[in-house]
Amino acid sequence: MTKLKRILASKTTVTLVWVVGVMAIWEVFAFIVAATKRTPINVLPHVWQIVESFFSDKAVTGKMTMAQLIATSCGETLSRAAIGFLIGTVLGYLLALLMNMSGIVEKIAFPYLMIIQMIPILGMAPIILAITGDIDSSRMVIAAILTFYPVSTNTLAGFKAVEKEKHELMYSYAATGFQRYIKTYIPFSIPYFFTGLKISAPMAITASILVDTLQGGNGLGCMLSQSLKGGMTRLVFWDIVVISAIIGILSYYLMGLIEKLICPYKRRGQEVIL
Amino acid sequence: MTNKARLNLLASVLLPLCVAVLLFILWQTEVLHILLGTDTITLPLPTRIGEIIGQNADAIWEHTQISLRVALGGLVMGSVLGYGIALIATIFPKWGAGGLSIVSAFNAIPIVALAPVINNWTRDISTEVDQRSTVAKMLVVMIFCTASMSINAFRGLTELKPFSEDLMKTYAAKRGTVFLKLRLPNSIPYIFTALKVSVPSSIIGALVSEYFAEDTVGVGRQIRENIVKGQYPTAWAYIAVACIIGIALYAILMLVEHLVMKRRKG
Amino acid sequence: MAEEIRKETAREKDVEIMLDNVGMVYKTTDGKDVTALTGVSFDIHKGEFISLLGPSGCGKTTLLRIIADLITPTSGNVLIGGETPRQARLKKRYAMVFQSAVLYDWRTVRKNVMLPLEIMKVPKKERIERADKMLKLVGLSDFADHYPRQLSGGMQQRVGIARALAIRPEILLMDEPFSALDEFTREKLHDDLLRIWRKTNKTVIFVTHNIQESVFLSDRVCVLSPHPGRLSAVVDIDLPRPRTMDIKDTPEFTALVAKVRNSFEGV
Repeated sequence: MTKLKRILASKTTVTLVWVVGVMAIWEVFAFIVAATKRTPINVLPHVWQIVESFFSDKAVTGKMTMAQLIATSCGETLSRAAIGFLIGTVLGYLLALLMNMSGIVEKIAFPYLMIIQMIPILGMAPIILAITGDIDSSRMVIAAILTFYPVSTNTLAGFKAVEKEKHELMYSYAATGFQRYIKTYIPFSIPYFFTGLKISAPMAITASILVDTLQGGNGLGCMLSQSLKGGMTRLVFWDIVVISAIIGILSYYLMGLIEKLICPYKRRGQEVIL
Repeated sequence: MTNKARLNLLASVLLPLCVAVLLFILWQTEVLHILLGTDTITLPLPTRIGEIIGQNADAIWEHTQISLRVALGGLVMGSVLGYGIALIATIFPKWGAGGLSIVSAFNAIPIVALAPVINNWTRDISTEVDQRSTVAKMLVVMIFCTASMSINAFRGLTELKPFSEDLMKTYAAKRGTVFLKLRLPNSIPYIFTALKVSVPSSIIGALVSEYFAEDTVGVGRQIRENIVKGQYPTAWAYIAVACIIGIALYAILMLVEHLVMKRRKG
Repeated sequence: MAEEIRKETAREKDVEIMLDNVGMVYKTTDGKDVTALTGVSFDIHKGEFISLLGPSGCGKTTLLRIIADLITPTSGNVLIGGETPRQARLKKRYAMVFQSAVLYDWRTVRKNVMLPLEIMKVPKKERIERADKMLKLVGLSDFADHYPRQLSGGMQQRVGIARALAIRPEILLMDEPFSALDEFTREKLHDDLLRIWRKTNKTVIFVTHNIQESVFLSDRVCVLSPHPGRLSAVVDIDLPRPRTMDIKDTPEFTALVAKVRNSFEGV
């Protein structure tokens, strides 16, 4: 009985109940839509229709089934998003390092980091596509820009958050600049760095999909707009909506998972012994 | 010491300004074009963009108003909804916290996937294209802005100063009083934290949802349409306007925050 | 007479830290001068346990930070074993223990103690040996592989002491190390600190605002008074060693506490 209570009270259960609840509400509306609309599939299909279509072996386009189609377009879009994400992460981290090392670099770059947050970069996607002229590189460029500044600002915040005493400790050991970074700054700022990654990972994916919709090709976004235009069944659209939502959420949790692997101390910190 | 502080301040204004001027010169002298491997057609000179903005001021202002209405309308709706969710979560903490994680999961949904869905749903709201399109766009912005407000407001409503809740209990204060005297004022700084995230996202949401909207209006849509038509200078004019909107709204937010927080400190 | 002079020179040889007319004047942002410390002169001998005692604003932490080369005095001289604080720091003649343990929460307890040895490029095998020895000394051998967050405040501060001792300093500079701990934990750590001190023969400079603590631990208590921060008295604590908690109930102890308390000026 107490075990049951504990399971019921656990966080996972609460989240699970919510997921089921959201799906139930979806279904209620899907039934209403099915009863009242002429083409319910355009407005809100049933959850099972989406799931079924994903696993169905009927070809949706050419020879590909739904799962194959989505897998290939996912691969195309996500690989570009991932490359852009990596480039943005490296550049963002390097800038944070430089800003922390040099007051001049910080003074120059900081206002621009502020401003770039206020500018709707995603809205500039079409022009970046026009400048690069190539869908692959523009996907990477936008994903990189969107990754770059959250990583940079959060990592810098991490460097700045190192306590005064830790600096004094390093000073009293006569540590070199390199040692300070290896022993104190970099490990200390890892949780902050990951906060940046958690913000930017879903953004990089969104950016990559958005660029897809601007031009033909094989990406998720291209399939999405083709399906909307009636080029293939509407269920392709719905499947992509659901899949991209799941990928966006997973990318966030993936960053959290990597963080836990890198800093196990945080996880073990739960069990306090007196 | 004071001289040093003044010099420091001067440097932090002058240094970025110098870079801005340098960038402008590189752009105007077309060195930037060589660096980016592009031409003056795709990336027009700043003076040319300025010219275009001057020539099309009326049309640009009209589209700006449309985008602003969508962004601010959605922002207000999303923030109110987000705060409401945070309130409910505060009243029912156990289930509410789980609900919040669902709401924050919505944040990870690509906006590109969201916009067409909402377009489908709002088809029957009105026979007028501009009306139903505006509603659809606002809803996208709303969903885009809800999560940051609900998460931050929840923190503001629950992360109280130590012992302040106990103090209220010793006064035998009712739940409503605790809310009004303690939780609500405590959440105000957190509201600004949320807005600092959601104000920029409201503009992004407005621009991107315009791409998918039925109605071909708004700053975002104009960027896209003009590029499709090959009118790059006009597209750049709208991009410049989008940047100005973003910076202006953020500046206003900072000003309001400054005023509100100053009054709180007395 | 001659004997007294000989005794004097013998003591001079023993001098570990020499403070000569040390003063510190800060400039505030609006350009005003604030005297944090003025005219502090006295000698600290090898192996001595010295307390710097005073209320907040008396400059006791400032004085410690001057000795640690974290700040440079605006007047006067400091010599540590005949060298400047900077030279002493570079030679790692002293180690600091802060008010909080300042542990690195991504490192295990053992690795925290090894941190300064890594910076000094001590070979890995020796690092581990030295860290384990120090952990044994502070009684934390069983917790070597725990993370700091899993330890209580008292245990964390022991790790801080072990880390300070790991570099084999001649001097231990302690800045209110036990002020954040509860009374019971503090008394236990007093015992441990005295035991470690006896074993290792370090010179200890211990900053505190707790009169009982300073009397219980020290050979001499330097009483500092505020506005401006200055040395108002040095009280010899001639209680027998080794000291145990019981000593606190003796009239001698109470008398010394009273003597120290009465030597404050202008509080």
